[in-house]
Amino acid sequence: MKVVELLGIRKVIGQEEILKGIDLWVEAGEFVAIVGASGSGKSSLLYVMGLLDKPTSGEVFFEGQRVDFSGEKELSVIRNQKMGFVFQFHYLLPEFNLLENVILPAIKRGMMKTEAQERAYELLKRLGLGGKERRKIYQISGGEMQRVAIARALMNNPSLLLADEPTGNLDSKNTRAVMDIFKEINAEGTTIVMVTHELDLAAQAHRIVEMRDGQVVRA
Amino acid sequence: MRHVAFVAFKLLLERKRQTLVSVLGVSIGVSAFIVMSSLMIGFQSYFIQQVIDLEPHIRIKPREERTDFMFEEPVLVLGERLKEKDKILGWYEIMQSLEKHPEVLGVAPRLVSRGILKYGVKDKPVTLLGIDPQREPKASIIEKFLIHKNLKKLETNRTGVILGVLVAKSLGIQEKGKKLLLVAPNGQTLLVTVEDFFESGITNIDDARVYLNIKTLQSLLDRQGEANEIVVKIGDVNRAEKISRDFQEIIPYEVESWQRAYRNFLSIFKIQNTITYMIVFAILTVSAFGIFNIIMMTVLEKKKDIAILMAMGFTRRDVLLIFMVEGFVVGLLGALLGSVLGYGLQEYLESIKLDVEGLIRTKGFVLDRSPLFYLYALVFSLFFSLLASLYPSYRASRLNPVDIFRSQ
Repeated sequence: MKVVELLGIRKVIGQEEILKGIDLWVEAGEFVAIVGASGSGKSSLLYVMGLLDKPTSGEVFFEGQRVDFSGEKELSVIRNQKMGFVFQFHYLLPEFNLLENVILPAIKRGMMKTEAQERAYELLKRLGLGGKERRKIYQISGGEMQRVAIARALMNNPSLLLADEPTGNLDSKNTRAVMDIFKEINAEGTTIVMVTHELDLAAQAHRIVEMRDGQVVRA
Repeated sequence: MRHVAFVAFKLLLERKRQTLVSVLGVSIGVSAFIVMSSLMIGFQSYFIQQVIDLEPHIRIKPREERTDFMFEEPVLVLGERLKEKDKILGWYEIMQSLEKHPEVLGVAPRLVSRGILKYGVKDKPVTLLGIDPQREPKASIIEKFLIHKNLKKLETNRTGVILGVLVAKSLGIQEKGKKLLLVAPNGQTLLVTVEDFFESGITNIDDARVYLNIKTLQSLLDRQGEANEIVVKIGDVNRAEKISRDFQEIIPYEVESWQRAYRNFLSIFKIQNTITYMIVFAILTVSAFGIFNIIMMTVLEKKKDIAILMAMGFTRRDVLLIFMVEGFVVGLLGALLGSVLGYGLQEYLESIKLDVEGLIRTKGFVLDRSPLFYLYALVFSLFFSLLASLYPSYRASRLNPVDIFRSQ
């Protein structure tokens, strides 16, 4: 089953055409790496795939349903319940402790706080952050922050995890740790699409999609 | 809404200093509103109440007319004197007909004149009010203001007088029983005895009035059987103006309600209220700008956080509500703290004992401690807080998460 499918996606910003008619789909359970040089349109493609950005033209299907970009509420529900995002920067909320950061998507979904906290404890423990749940963001390392961001992305058990340069700010040890987590959750059934410019990381995915000047040159 | 409250309260709690500054700003505005309103309305209500109690609700008096100069061409005569037909003809019949009106509680005649009181080497010009000691209490609450409650003494002692406390003070009289000389405008004199003092708290009344029996004044002025004022007390003081207009249609003398007699004061009160509320409005506006500034700063600082919230499924409405809730909570906390501060200030002001000398005289501040001021303050502070947070909240909700992610 195709988790996400893009047909003829074009994205124009100002005078510049960022995405030039992209056709691409991702099967359930796949681990896809999108590679390409800086400015090739990798992140823009990920934002469209994550329903964060409306394409200038073209169609997006999510789990077989055509996505209507005019309905903000529906898009929010899909992002909240079906998708998880991990970015190069962790984007953790500094006022919240690790646990509170992780439970945010579940609270938005309507889960009871105690139930959400139980799941967040499990996730944090699994990602090697057990015992640090009540710490503030500034009290943990960069690699740990990224793992908290991954825990947050996994909180609502998404079918699609979208990662934009998730290891871009990490040292090799933490990069390995993040990739191990990705492979582990992918093995459990979560579909992953990861944007990276590091080919050795892309090589660990099932499939590599290469982009150049807004076009897919290898899928 | 749980997710909105979760984020909003967390931001408020974790940004304690900013929250505290905003709350303090609002609370200062709220307490200023409560204290200034209670002081101002307290003073005005006190003044009006004293006037209503002491002064006639409706007064009937001779019209003031110009002297009958007959010129073929209109000319301006500087220093033109007013001629007074200083009496009411048939005053007893007029009183009888007024007493039949269903809204009239009491009617009394008065003879009002000027005079001079002499005590030792001191003298003081005064307003002489000849009253009927039996009828007067039905038409005004004069007894409430008498220190020794000796109004009835004016019946038995025809040379008895009741002095305003400031008249007595000017003459150096501190106790009743003192004898002083009353000089009428026609040169007649009479030795009178102080039977009581009255203290209304209104300076210009206490400093001029002398009450005595109307018959004593009539004989002193050689105006037997005359009255030049009829005073009327009615049930609903707020209807005085309307009833006075009705009376005016059937009575050939000037009929004046207390509102018209004190219109200058009432106009001043309106101006005073406007100025006070403008000051309070300015304070609340400044505190609203404080909230605006702090929420706007928060929005600008938290662009990345807003973007990730949107990525994880928060809608634009959620983001708008998060910051609106912040504004609402700041307004609410400010109102609560301001109410406590306002209450404390009211208690403090009420406990101060000092001689207030001015338009009114009291032994301290006169406060109106109506709970309505707290309610109004709450409504105003919430309104201003929500208004102040509206624009930054809207700005936050219109942020495009992709633009923010791209800019990193």
